[in-house]
This record gives sequence, structure tokens and C-alpha cells, in this order.
Amino acid sequence: MIQIIDYGAGNIKSVQNALKKLGIESKIISSVEELRTDCKTIFPGVGAAGNAMSELEKRGFAQTIPQIQAPFLGICLGMQLLMESSEENETECLGIIKGKVRKFQNKPPTLIKIPQIGWNKVSTKSAEPLFKDIPDQSYFYFVNSYYVSPDSDQVSTQIGETAYGINFASAINKENFYGVQFHPEKSGEIGLKLLNNFCKLC
Amino acid sequence: MLIIPAIDLIDGKCVRLSQGDYSQVKNYDQDPIEVAQKFKKQGINFIHIIDLEGAKEGKPINFPKTAEVAETTGLAIQTGGGIRTFEDAEKILNSGIKRVILGTSALANPKLVKDLVSKFGADRIVVSIDAKDGIVMIKGWIEKSDLTLEEAFEKLKDTGLEIIIFTDVKRDGMLKGINPENIKKVLNKGFKIIVAGGVTTQEDIDQLETLNVYGCIIGKALYEGKINLPNPNPKPNTLSKRIIPCMDIKEGRVVKGTNFINLKDAGDPVELGKFYSDMGADELIFLDIMATVEKRDTLYELVRRISENINIPFTVGGGINTLEDIKILLQNGADKISIGSKAAKNPNFVKEASQKFGSQCIVISVDPKKIDGKWKLFIKGGRENTNIDAIEFAKQMEQSGAGELLVNSLDRDGMKNGYDIPLLKAITSAVNIPVIASSGAGSKEDFLEAFEEANVDAALAASLFHYGEIQIPDLKKYLAKKNITIRI
Repeated sequence: MIQIIDYGAGNIKSVQNALKKLGIESKIISSVEELRTDCKTIFPGVGAAGNAMSELEKRGFAQTIPQIQAPFLGICLGMQLLMESSEENETECLGIIKGKVRKFQNKPPTLIKIPQIGWNKVSTKSAEPLFKDIPDQSYFYFVNSYYVSPDSDQVSTQIGETAYGINFASAINKENFYGVQFHPEKSGEIGLKLLNNFCKLC
Repeated sequence: MLIIPAIDLIDGKCVRLSQGDYSQVKNYDQDPIEVAQKFKKQGINFIHIIDLEGAKEGKPINFPKTAEVAETTGLAIQTGGGIRTFEDAEKILNSGIKRVILGTSALANPKLVKDLVSKFGADRIVVSIDAKDGIVMIKGWIEKSDLTLEEAFEKLKDTGLEIIIFTDVKRDGMLKGINPENIKKVLNKGFKIIVAGGVTTQEDIDQLETLNVYGCIIGKALYEGKINLPNPNPKPNTLSKRIIPCMDIKEGRVVKGTNFINLKDAGDPVELGKFYSDMGADELIFLDIMATVEKRDTLYELVRRISENINIPFTVGGGINTLEDIKILLQNGADKISIGSKAAKNPNFVKEASQKFGSQCIVISVDPKKIDGKWKLFIKGGRENTNIDAIEFAKQMEQSGAGELLVNSLDRDGMKNGYDIPLLKAITSAVNIPVIASSGAGSKEDFLEAFEEANVDAALAASLFHYGEIQIPDLKKYLAKKNITIRI
């Protein structure tokens, strides 16, 4: 059983559909009373950081999420909210991993369009359980204008890297908390494999 | 911004003048082919070659050498100097040279510009306006004309011309930097501006980038090592270009028309979508072309089925009128919503929608048609001209928070003779959000052209895929071979 946190800022349906394809049961949690700290959790999210954080605080999730003991996966905005703060709306986030969320810059010599929309490669370390049986440099689907930048003493939390003008952390992990900038639920077969790996984590 | 290194030729050799003064020649004594090859290695793909003798004499003299540079290096070249007749321009344009630059002749004879643009297209003709203290200079900058800059622009307004090279003669070859005040005076006059004269440091380039000029020409500063070309190995960007099959939906079934008539049934959207996803499509678009309020439930049901069965991103569009429409489609599993007529009628709607749901799910569908040399925005499936300038509209949509633009072309739709490259180029240079090319694809080469020439991020086709005229895996292999970043 996977619990999916619904705070009004995610394409919950797609995540649930993807899990359903894998034959994994899931439950959508929209109030903090239903949230269990011993249950695997997926934390999706699209939209702006400011709104999302105020929703999380209003619903009481902001205090409880850091107490979760079971494997926890933040997707896209859900990953960004694990950091200390975001440049987007100058938002203070959950602070589970030390570092910031920054905006992509369209500056020479590498001109990029913002948002990043489309399939990009993720470089991974082979031993990462989240990327088990997923080839290095596999393509995943991204939609983002901001990226996660862990503090320099937190480099070990980066388990995936992607190039879009700069090299940024596209997957992170600290203890039971995982985050991916891409959308595994929208990344075809390889994305399903990653979700399946997550569901098998102890 | 396009960075264009300059080569000046006298007697087939590279030289540089200061302030256009022929007595201040610096002879670098190099073969232009070698110089061009060097630029090419540094990642340059466009070069500016001026025939100084030609400019002085009023007829092309070093033209054979220029054609040789183009042929040997394969670089795109714009060339000028003494091109004053239709025949001279034609000869050069037919020799493999990308663009001709007209100077003096253009101002004395706007009809020549008009004739050349209509025969060769606005992308191949450029007029160079050289000015000193706001007055246009002619004959290789030796003489003052009796025209002010304003008057010169006015003369070119109705020729169909799109690109102007503006040279600040006082700054040229002086290594003293650009004068942004003079440059600002020529921006927003309805032309794309390439700045020449005085581009000396990286700060100059950055400043031009902020001014949003189309390109800049760098000469002396390059030869004397004051400026380095952009790093040929820029920081990597591995984002792949997207191939998107588009399914027009009517009452839950796939149709595709040619120029929006002659609809044909091409299958079940979910089956077809799944097939494309398995074939390697990067994304899918479903457009409800007969969207009516009564038939909405059919669409919602379809969207639900798609999201249950397909796990690549998909966009839904057609008849989107309210924030509630968007909300329900997203709740049913759509990733992005394409908005058309409503955005043209009420740009504020786009602002509200992007604030409420996030820019990432707002795609604006733009339907331009060229009328009297300008792209006008059409709505209602191409039936109604809004008289809005399509390029300005694109910029406005970006400011309103659109995450992406889907650019159709009413002139090309269903014609299968290629995407509308000039239109797409105009839009990708006007905005910095992703652009999806639509309308006109008929061959693999058309996709390549859109990615290479028009800098689009995704390319869409419908019947071409539905009737198996092009298979997505073949197309992707072809593009990968041509060095397009593509997901295979």
C-alpha cells in the first residue's frame, strides 16, 4: 500500500494510474489525520512553490511529513519542497535536505528555453536501488523552470544528474527521503520501472 | 542572438578598415577560406563577408572568392559590397550564398528590395544601413546621404524586408564598444536588427543580448583577440526534441482534415495513442475539433481512458472556454491544456489559468495566416481573422504565463510541403518558451528543417503518421543520424 499525498497541487490521477498498472494499491490522502508515518508515501506536485507550501501548512502536512519513517518519494515540485527554500515566491520549504531551489537562467554560452519541457537524460550511479535495472543516461520526462541545488556539503544526496544549461540534481536521496525532478508516472516503461523500484524499497 | 564574424575582402584577402576609411587598411593577409574554417571550428555557422572593392566600385568584384568560401566550408554566408542590381543579387543568391546585403542601392531603389524579397524570400535579403550621427552614409561610408535613419526605415517599410544590419560607423573598427543609445533608436521599428560596429567585449555581447537584437557582427575585435567567440563546447544540454502525433477528435473518434475540410476517420484515440506511445512518440495531442458543451462528457470520458492506458504526457484542446473546463480535464488526467480562440479574445484568461494551474500545463495554440506580408492571428479553426499580429500575440502569451506555444500555419496546413519556417523562426526568436511546430510536414526532411532552421522544440504531424506515410521509429533514427538530440 502506497499513500499519495493530495494537497491540491498535483496530477494525482497519473501517479495513481501508473501504480495501478504495476498492480500496486494506493490511497489518496488529503488530510493529515489519515497520514501514516510508517507507510510508503508518494508526494507529487506541480505548480508554484508558494501556494503549495501554504496549502501544506494549512492542511497540517508541513509538520508531519518530516516525521515520516517509511520510504518517501517527492516528484517534481514534491522534490523541490524537500529543500530548505525556493527562489520561487521566496518560499521557505520543508528543510529535510539542506540546499536551495533555483531558477534556470537563459544565459550565454548555453541558451535554454524556460520551462524545460520534454525528455532529458539522467546520469545515475549504478548502485542506487531507486535506479535498479535502469540504464545510465535513460530518458525521463521533465517539466520545470526551477531545479534543486543541494548545499556543497550535501553532494552525497545527489543520486541523479541532468544537463540543461547547467548540470543539476535530477534525483536526490537522504535516508528514507527520495526526490526526482522528472515525472516517472509520465516517463513510459522506464518511469514505471523506477516507481516499481521505489515500491520495493525497504 | 546570432553571432556573425566579419570578413572584409580586398583582392581576395582579409583586411579591416577603421571607420570605413580606405586609407586606414589593416591587412591581415589571410585567405578567407582559412579564416572561415577557423570560425567554423569555433562553432560559428554564419559569416558576414564584405567586398570592399565592390562597395567602392558599385559592382561585385570579389564575389567568386565569396562563393568559394561558401562552397568549401558549407557555412551560411551573407555578403555585400556593390550589389546594386537585381541581376547581381540573383547571380549571388543562386551560387550557394545564403543572403545578400544591399546598401546604397536599396535606399535609392526600394523596388529592388521588394522584387528580391518576393522572388527569394525575406530570409535571403538584408539591407545594411550605415549611420553616423543619425545620418545614413553611402558609397562604402565615404559620402553622407541626405537621409536620416528614420527616413531610411520609412522607405523600406513596405518592401517585405525583415532584416536590417545597422552599423554605427563612428564605432566601427574603433574597439571602443557599442553605443546602446544609438542601437535602441533602431529597435522596435518592425525589423530584426543585426548590429555591427564597435562590438568589442563580452559585455557588449551581453548587452546586445539584453536588448534582444537578432544578431551582431564582430570584426576587428575578433582578429585582434579582444573578444573570444562563445565557447564551442558550451555546457551541455541534453534535452531531446519531441515528436508529437496529433489526433483531431470528433465525437470520441480520430479524424484529420486537409485545410480543415474533408474529414476522414482514422481510428480509436486510445488505441492509436497507445500505438504511438509504443512506437516512441514523445507526447500526444488530442484536439476536440467539434467541441460543444453537450458533447463535453464524451471528451472527459475519453481523457480518463487515455490517462489510464497511456503513461506519456498528453495535451487536450478544443473549445476551452472557462477555468472550470481546464480543471475538469486536468482532474481527468490531462497533463496540459491547449487554449485557442479564448486566448485571442481574452488574454487575461491565460494569465488566470496559468496562475491557477501553473504555466507548465498551459499551451497556447496560435493559428497565423500571412496577409499582405504580415502574420495575422486567426481563430475559430481558421475561419475568422482577428487582425492581431501573430508574433506580437506570441510575445503577449509568454508574458501572460503560457508554458508553451503550438504554432500552426493556415497557409501550410495539410499541404505537406514543409513547416512554415519563416513563421516559426519569427516566433522562436520572439519568445523564450518552448515552441511546437505544426502544419505542413510531408517528409522527414521537413522535421529536420524545423529543428535545425527554426529552433523549435517539438514537431507535430497528424495524417502523415495516421496513414503510415512516415513511421515514428524511422523518423527518429533519421533525425538522430542528422545530429538532432532525440530519444530513441
